[in-house]
Amino acid sequence: MDFGSLTGLVSVKPFLGAQGLSSWFPEAASEHAGGVDGAFLGILAAAAFAVVLVVGLAMTFIRRFSRSDDTETGVDTGRLSYPLMGVFVLGAVALAGFSFYVGMDGFLDRTVAPYGAYEIDVTARQWDWDFTYPNGYVADTLHVAVGQPVKLVLKTEDVTHGLSVPAMRLSKTVLPGLDAETWFEATVADTFTLRSNRYSGEGYSTMQTALIAHGDGDFQAWLTAVSDIFAGRTLEEVGELLYSTKGCKACHSLDGSKLVGPSFKDVYGNTFDTREGVQVTVDDAYVKESILAPNVSVIAGYEPVMTPYEGNITDREIEAITAWLKTLSVHTPADAAGQEEN
Amino acid sequence: MSNGTVAAAPADYLSTGGGLGAWWSSRDHKKIAMMFLGLITSAFLVGAIFAVYLKLRMAAGGAPDLAAYHKTMTMHGVAMVFLFLVPALPMVIGYFTLPLQLGARNMALPAFSQVSLRLYVLGLALVILSVFTGAASSGWTLSFGGGFMLVMGLGLVCMGVSWALTGINFLVTVHHKRADGMGFFQMPLTAWGLYLTGYLLTAAGFIFAITVFYLSASMSFGRGLFGPEASPLDWLNYFWFVTTPAAFFALLPAVGVISDMIAGISRKALAGYRLVVGAMIGLLALSFVTWGVHMLGTGQADVVSFTFAFFNLLTVVPVALIVFCWLSTLYRGAVLCATPTTFVVVFLINAGIGAVMGLFLSSLSVGSYLANTLFATAHAHYVMMGGVTTALLAGLHWWWPKMTGRLYSQGLGRFSALLYLVGLNLAFFPQIIMGAKGAPQGAFTADPSLAGLQTVSGIGMMVLLLAIVLIAVNLIRALLNGEEAGSNPWSASTLEWSTTSPPSADNFEARPTVGDPYVF
Repeated sequence: MDFGSLTGLVSVKPFLGAQGLSSWFPEAASEHAGGVDGAFLGILAAAAFAVVLVVGLAMTFIRRFSRSDDTETGVDTGRLSYPLMGVFVLGAVALAGFSFYVGMDGFLDRTVAPYGAYEIDVTARQWDWDFTYPNGYVADTLHVAVGQPVKLVLKTEDVTHGLSVPAMRLSKTVLPGLDAETWFEATVADTFTLRSNRYSGEGYSTMQTALIAHGDGDFQAWLTAVSDIFAGRTLEEVGELLYSTKGCKACHSLDGSKLVGPSFKDVYGNTFDTREGVQVTVDDAYVKESILAPNVSVIAGYEPVMTPYEGNITDREIEAITAWLKTLSVHTPADAAGQEEN
Repeated sequence: MSNGTVAAAPADYLSTGGGLGAWWSSRDHKKIAMMFLGLITSAFLVGAIFAVYLKLRMAAGGAPDLAAYHKTMTMHGVAMVFLFLVPALPMVIGYFTLPLQLGARNMALPAFSQVSLRLYVLGLALVILSVFTGAASSGWTLSFGGGFMLVMGLGLVCMGVSWALTGINFLVTVHHKRADGMGFFQMPLTAWGLYLTGYLLTAAGFIFAITVFYLSASMSFGRGLFGPEASPLDWLNYFWFVTTPAAFFALLPAVGVISDMIAGISRKALAGYRLVVGAMIGLLALSFVTWGVHMLGTGQADVVSFTFAFFNLLTVVPVALIVFCWLSTLYRGAVLCATPTTFVVVFLINAGIGAVMGLFLSSLSVGSYLANTLFATAHAHYVMMGGVTTALLAGLHWWWPKMTGRLYSQGLGRFSALLYLVGLNLAFFPQIIMGAKGAPQGAFTADPSLAGLQTVSGIGMMVLLLAIVLIAVNLIRALLNGEEAGSNPWSASTLEWSTTSPPSADNFEARPTVGDPYVF
């Protein structure tokens, strides 16, 4: 059911006018907003009627039946009027039932994201946000595409936080240790305020960033552009970045200490014995083989346990790692049989 | 009552017992109530000073010291909720009226009255001390750990025990101190409200004390026994399980006070007396099964949110019954035209708005959107300042001639009641609008589009404070040199009006005769 239509149903709009309506809400920029606004205005009309009725009756009776002197007593009208009481109580139940009913669909709708929704991981901490896209790119603002349902999977690294985007009528609390999920679909391409609405300590008021809704394929273009790690970096810097993001650092140290795998310090250009008893010199070809098929030729003293990266890394990224390894080694590139970097 | 008996009457409670020391060591319920009135007013002033700071800071804009801002906000909430709003009606109206309405000389457990008062003083002192030893920035819901200090925690533990002792005192007093011939259904509704609140105070008071004790101990000594950081959902459950009924500490006596006042100002029996009692029992029961509506969108299961929202909406049935009985009583009454009547109307407007705001927050989709916004802040203020505080002020204006034996100015009384209505709505209605726009709860936001609404709200708070100052001036002036009130200035019917004003230390000279409470 479309609760946006309730606005018309309870005839609030003609009374308040477009000006009045816009003063109640922020811009409505999600498919979900209309339902929330309609339900809100419906309850507002019914609730205002109830308060005016009760206060109006009370004031009328006080004025109409005012005491003329201190000896006058009220007229005991005997038993309560049960039919009137029934109408009154049923009216109140109807008011509550109406409020419950108009809020139900919009709530149930939020509980399960549509199949195929674009998933973005949200990490909250004191006092900022990380948004992680499916390709692993991490941003401090939330970017989405207009017309595409987006599922947010929230977690917090410290205390309880609340994520709120008023324009989307979106609000979700995330507690430590309890991941939360919600979803929304932007309908307007614009930049909106995204902020925390759950008190989280002294920096709470500054925990604010932006939701940027992109139209017409701009979202993919944005993601591709920002995800290009080569833009604005030298080859060596990209190699260093990949060392962190591709998981190398879990097993390879930079200071010569022995972890699961050999350290990257002074490894390039050096010569080792392999487990098979062959001597190898670490050159460009050996680096490439050790990334794509690492367990074929393993340096003596280590187990063949590394995950092959075949299919998960590009040649250009391997070049970057190779260039970076050279900067970590005292063995000059000329010692190796590789080609000069450019 | 003839002039002869007045001359022979024992001295009233205000003129016996002399100095401060004698008051401090007194176990007379009336003196306890008046001391509570002074203490609770002090707590209110502490909370109000913090509120003024917050408004001025917001109006000044710029870049504030956020740590100071949030500590002030925490102290404002803690002082107002736990030191003022929750205990105000039971401690002031309750201690004063309960024995008088029952025809008793004192509470059943006078020592409990005294210990409860002294624990309140200790708790108030500790909470104020905590501002200087390192103020907490936990928020008033204590749901965020940083900076929650042992001193404030111990202060709140004192409060919880104080509530529980008062609750036990109310229960025992009602069971054992009713005048001969007064059955449960001959009790005035204020006494009923206090009796039912006795159960809430006893249960929630002890649970609150224990919960806060574990919380502050685990935070202060770094052991995750219990607390928002160790198990956040458990903490929310415990906290709201206790504080939701705590709101009814104030609301049930408020229903009783307004019911008695409506019968008194109409000079007729309260229509549907037993229905109102039943409805109050219904509210008592529902107060224990609605805490989860404070936790929408926090990770409680959806079916649980659903159930709580349903129970919360069920509260409209008892509320509708009570309001219907009030209106039926006013209908064809002989309605008094005086300050208490104005306060009853102000109560109906303010509490009515507060009540219907609950419909928005219980409507799941709208409620999830509004839950952490200024709409929820405004709701809390309409319920607490609009409902509870208005009922307290109404009760004070109703019983002040009994408490002091003096009449206050009716003109100033009615003017300040209307000023209170205007100030409250100017202060908090803008928050409803800002909440609908998504403005977050408790944040310092320099949003230029909300500046106008913030200014209106700030002006409203100043008007509200002015109204409270005028009320205080009017009541204190009456106490010092007001006109003699006589024993029953409103021509009301319940037992407290049959004795002298102010009553003697023993309340009644002769055993009062007891019938139905509202016979005029």
